[in-house]
Amino acid sequence: MKLLIHDLNEEQLSKLIPVKPDDTTVISDDGSIRHCLGCFGCWVKTPGTCVIHDNYADTGEKISKCEEVVIISKCFYGGFSPFVKNVLDRGISYMHPYFTIRNGELHHRRRYGNHIDLSVWFYGDNITEVEKETAERLIHANAINLDCSVKSVGFVREIEQVTV
Amino acid sequence: MKIALINGSPRHKDSASAVILQMLKRMLAEENEILELYCATPAFAEHDLKQITSCDRLVFSFPLYVDAIPSHLLRCLSQLEEAYSAKAGSKPAVYALVNCGFYEGSQNSVALDIIKNWCHKAGPTYGQGIGMGGGGMLLAISGVPDDKGPKRIVYEAIKTMANNILAGASADNLFVSPGFPRFAYKLSAEFGWRKAIKENGLKVKDLSRRM
Ligand SMILES: Cc1cc2nc3c(=O)[nH]c(=O)nc-3n(C[C@H](O)[C@H](O)[C@H](O)COP(=O)(O)O)c2cc1C
Repeated sequence: MKLLIHDLNEEQLSKLIPVKPDDTTVISDDGSIRHCLGCFGCWVKTPGTCVIHDNYADTGEKISKCEEVVIISKCFYGGFSPFVKNVLDRGISYMHPYFTIRNGELHHRRRYGNHIDLSVWFYGDNITEVEKETAERLIHANAINLDCSVKSVGFVREIEQVTV
Repeated sequence: MKIALINGSPRHKDSASAVILQMLKRMLAEENEILELYCATPAFAEHDLKQITSCDRLVFSFPLYVDAIPSHLLRCLSQLEEAYSAKAGSKPAVYALVNCGFYEGSQNSVALDIIKNWCHKAGPTYGQGIGMGGGGMLLAISGVPDDKGPKRIVYEAIKTMANNILAGASADNLFVSPGFPRFAYKLSAEFGWRKAIKENGLKVKDLSRRM
């Protein structure tokens, strides 16, 4: 399975992907997402699921069911857009609360056995070279944190330049 | 001088971000006007925006979420960028205190760069940032005097920043890890998760539940 997390509107998405393939789950912005409250309920109250009842509570589970994650995000200051970041914040139940050492640093242990290849597209009018550098470092850090591999990180001006 | 202390943790005053911000507040001279605000939702109230944009210094204290800025704070930063672009006049110097759950303070460095990039876009000057590891510990020992025990290393870094804030100076980011061994931090955090799940009426094995 493939998981697409993006911040495009319906029209932009349908131009990019006219027909959604059967093996792809898509997480889109339906305007209802709530922000993480930092309660760790997804680890100690309802392990594996976020305690907030909106359409994004099962993000961690969705990540656990795929081998490929594609993110399309407007670049904000060298990072993800608020919506995409919101989805990722709500998905930390993908990891186990216990710690392990990875890359010589403390990180979380895995909850699931799936291995992910991560591709990220950042789009925006005037992404600076410094922002690109920050974004590359961010994705590298995310890959260590989530114990996944980075397939590609791309920067484009126009959404049409994204290839999925 | 008007200084805004902005707590970006959704856990409000029961947060490591609050403990850190209070340590800083105690170091800032009394003649300064201190504005204390929470940024715990995805938008600043109009009134808060006005207050913030009238400040000479902004200090953000927030938790690291997925190697970066919590989404609600990111939305607020974007809102603040717009507010600055609509407002003529001098821009503040910005300081950031980021704490994280992992041990190594250096894991906060991307988040500090994002704040720096925000400054470039929005207009303020980036002053300095501190990345702190072991945030959970800081919260657990919040009652310990600021300059004692495992808090001392954090105290020293914040003291340096406080001087830079007062002078409006820019300096390299500082990174600090807890003042006790990593294995002890790991053990006590994991003990904490087992305790928490049992208090919720579940079993320790439920920590590993798969959906
Ligand atoms: C959604 C979420 C994501 C997190 N991501 C990270 C992370 O990437 N690295 C890390 O070290 N800690 C991470 N943490 C842990 C927090 O940074 C840590 O618990 C912090 O001390 C909370 O600060 P506060 O009490 O000020 O809210 C995360 C916590 C949450 C809730």
